[in-house]
Amino acid sequence: MSLSLSSVVRKTWQTLSSVKTGVILIILVVIFSAAGTVILQRPMTDPDDMQRAYSPAMLRFLDATGLTDIFHAHWFVALMLLVSLSIIAASVERFPNAWRYFARPYKSPDDGFRRVLPIQAQIPITNEEAALSTAERVLRKNRLKSEHIVRTNSFSLFSEKHRMSEMAVYIVHASLLLIFLGGIVDALWGWRGFVTLTPGSASNQIEMSNGANRALPFSIRCDGTGEETYTDGTPKKWWSKLAVVENGREVFRKEIVVNDPLAYRGVRFYQASYGRTGKLEQLLLNVVPKDGKTAAREIALGMNQTVELDADTSVQLAEFIPDFVVEDGHVYARSTDISNPAVHLIVSSKKTNKSVNVWFPAIEGIAENAASPYTFTPKDLKTGLFTGLQVSHEPGQWSVWAGVVLMAIGLTFVFYVVHIRIWVVPVKDIHSGNLVLWIGGSANRNRDAFEQTFKKLAEQLRSELKTQPAAEAEKPAASMAGN
Amino acid sequence: MARAKVEQHPATGMTLIVMVGLSIAFLLFIAFLNVVKTGNILSEANLLYAALVFYAGAGALYLGFGITGTDAYVKFASLATWAGLIANTGAVAHRWYEAGHPPFASVYEMLLSFVWTLAALTLIAEKRYGVKVIGTVTMPVAIVGVVLMELLPNEVRPLVPALQSTWLHVHVTLAMLAYAACALSFALAMMFLIQDKVKTEFFLAATSVFTVVIYAAILGRFERWGGLSVIAWDPENKTEVFIARNVRMFVTIPDLGWLMLLVFVAVAVPLALYVLARVKKNEAFLDTANKAVFVSILLQALALVFFILRARDGQYPSLDAEGFYPTSLAASPFILAALVGGIFANLLYLLLLWRREDLERLLPDADALDRITYKTICIAFPLLTLMIAAGAFWANRAWGSYWNWDPKETWAAITWLVYAGYLHMRITRGWRGRRAAYFAILGFAVVMFTFFGVTYLLHGLHAYA
Repeated sequence: MSLSLSSVVRKTWQTLSSVKTGVILIILVVIFSAAGTVILQRPMTDPDDMQRAYSPAMLRFLDATGLTDIFHAHWFVALMLLVSLSIIAASVERFPNAWRYFARPYKSPDDGFRRVLPIQAQIPITNEEAALSTAERVLRKNRLKSEHIVRTNSFSLFSEKHRMSEMAVYIVHASLLLIFLGGIVDALWGWRGFVTLTPGSASNQIEMSNGANRALPFSIRCDGTGEETYTDGTPKKWWSKLAVVENGREVFRKEIVVNDPLAYRGVRFYQASYGRTGKLEQLLLNVVPKDGKTAAREIALGMNQTVELDADTSVQLAEFIPDFVVEDGHVYARSTDISNPAVHLIVSSKKTNKSVNVWFPAIEGIAENAASPYTFTPKDLKTGLFTGLQVSHEPGQWSVWAGVVLMAIGLTFVFYVVHIRIWVVPVKDIHSGNLVLWIGGSANRNRDAFEQTFKKLAEQLRSELKTQPAAEAEKPAASMAGN
Repeated sequence: MARAKVEQHPATGMTLIVMVGLSIAFLLFIAFLNVVKTGNILSEANLLYAALVFYAGAGALYLGFGITGTDAYVKFASLATWAGLIANTGAVAHRWYEAGHPPFASVYEMLLSFVWTLAALTLIAEKRYGVKVIGTVTMPVAIVGVVLMELLPNEVRPLVPALQSTWLHVHVTLAMLAYAACALSFALAMMFLIQDKVKTEFFLAATSVFTVVIYAAILGRFERWGGLSVIAWDPENKTEVFIARNVRMFVTIPDLGWLMLLVFVAVAVPLALYVLARVKKNEAFLDTANKAVFVSILLQALALVFFILRARDGQYPSLDAEGFYPTSLAASPFILAALVGGIFANLLYLLLLWRREDLERLLPDADALDRITYKTICIAFPLLTLMIAAGAFWANRAWGSYWNWDPKETWAAITWLVYAGYLHMRITRGWRGRRAAYFAILGFAVVMFTFFGVTYLLHGLHAYA
């Protein structure tokens, strides 16, 4: 046996296009996708959790085979490509036949076809032309347009509807390919990232999911962000006012909320998170002099800002620690959550050139609050807000949506639109030699329902033919009875 | 034995109807006393209670029909179903009005919609397709659904931002319809197998495997010293207790694990006997297996009672933290549903065992059932497709990505592929009858896993449902 190139290609093609291959590929996709939901997956799962869940040897094996990131493993992508190829091959293999069937409908049935067609009926007639025109009328009543087929030695009728239904399955397969195409385009050219903005700031740097940075040709500015809550405190709405700045000019503006992103030049910005930065914006203080010379007053301090309290004394906001902890006489920040804040003020005197450290709360051993000539009472603390924006670029999504719409149309045709064909041919009965009207019907799906429709149609035709040429029909009917 | 018993006392049509009618009247009277006390007739709780009463009545009558084949039962059963459906519709409308959004946002609301769909489908299947016994299956499911709802936290929760989307409602509505159609195709495939003269042993094996899987899943939380772990419950906030994001806290109920282990053995016995009968080719084992099913039902009922008594409330030690923590039935709706489901499946098997000929007489013929199964899947498949598409569209608007391979999405895709496989085999390979029926059953098993299994066994973005 010689293994010529063409025979290998032909064999591969045959294997690819068979339904069996398709089903095997579907089963493989099912098995590996299911595995991907059971085995912990890499980017989503914390590395520590992975190590806790599997033994080192197991983890090495899983990582090496790509089982810890199945849906992005090369072999899974290859499998999906194989599925696409199989769909293409199967469609190409069957399409020409279906197309011939579609483009050149079979209109005048021959003897062999008439013998084997499962749905058919025969009605005795006398006059070919009269019978055919009656049949045409009955078909029209049933909303079926019919065509006169003239052959050299015969006249017949052909009627059909929804021929498109024959093509539906190719529409569905094509739609699936469109969806895959969109997925591939996005896998190759799409990207996802994140950007955090505080009100007033702008940025064109996107932090990608793999840690790299991507610069956009335009920058995005946040003009404000906020939260609305229900009365019970659960969040109701997060919003951000965004503006797109290109070449120093503001070109687009939108207030986004969850479920309603901003899209500009194929890049979309989603409201993903919202919160407080842990940075102090403003501290409101009530200041009372200990000697009672001047009245109490309220001052506002920003970070590192100094305010004169009198001719000699000034106060500076030196430190703000959102979540403090004291160790060995030093104050440290534990986290950026504003859960346990501490404020450090420095009260200094010009004359003596001495300064006093005032802390809120008064931390023992560090705070010298008693030595300060003023008593401070913190009134309000304003910290910065930030908005977290998910940024994505998915150029393939339009192909996906087009595929979805096409699939909906295709499936509607596949399941609910039936291609019906009806042939009406006057023939001589083989046994008796009498003239009969042969009617046959076929439907590409839902055959039992069509059979009922067909029976009704034949019944109608039979009664019409009987009543109309009553006088003429009597004789042959009698002769029929004689047979 | 039991078969003879039923035949010795043929319940006349009227007796059961009168009994069911009287119980419904009694229960409604009790409810009325409650209404007088609170002064609010059309509250959601009352409507739900009325629905429960009517569904229970309908369930009893449908079962009576399944056992005796008396047609009069069906008339009153569908009347009761109608009444239940009206009350259920009231509850749905009340909820919708009060919450300001369609009832799909929590497990409670989804169950509310699911039960409604189920009751509506029952009536359609009965009136339109003449599948009268379907209520025998659907009504008990509806009852379990309503009982679960009574347990679950049901206050109207405002929608968090991610859920405020029309596409969510489209997605969930399609999901409910698709899953209901899948459930229907499953029930029809089972009926086909009965009509197709599949041996009763097959159903014995199927129900045994089903029950064994249930108890094996429950025993997945078996702890040392025979305890059974259930999720802790915070009675003040009416929520499960979390120790970290997506990590629930468990408390261990002592000794309950032993009982579950005992019942596991009891439900494994019929399966073992079936296998033995198959291997040794000895029919005598099957008779023993049938008796063992009867014993296992009693034990399962015992397990259910003890589970309800112990898990209803009480403080138990936790493995995750020091001290004792409360739990509640509401924290373990799926264990409860599984226990009830197991008993129910076994009862259905007994029904089949004893009244097979009657059932065959009552069901449409095999060919028709095969065709209707296929037609139901022809409805389910486009719905599944649109459900996935709407979900992808919503995800794209909410998170900036239409496909994340999160477990729920992946399993939805798997469900879709399984049904796609079914359609290909049926259309191009001409699979009919039994093979197609087995495929339809497999499809529904995958649907169930996607619906329950993924939510409770694998976690991902779909934290809301």
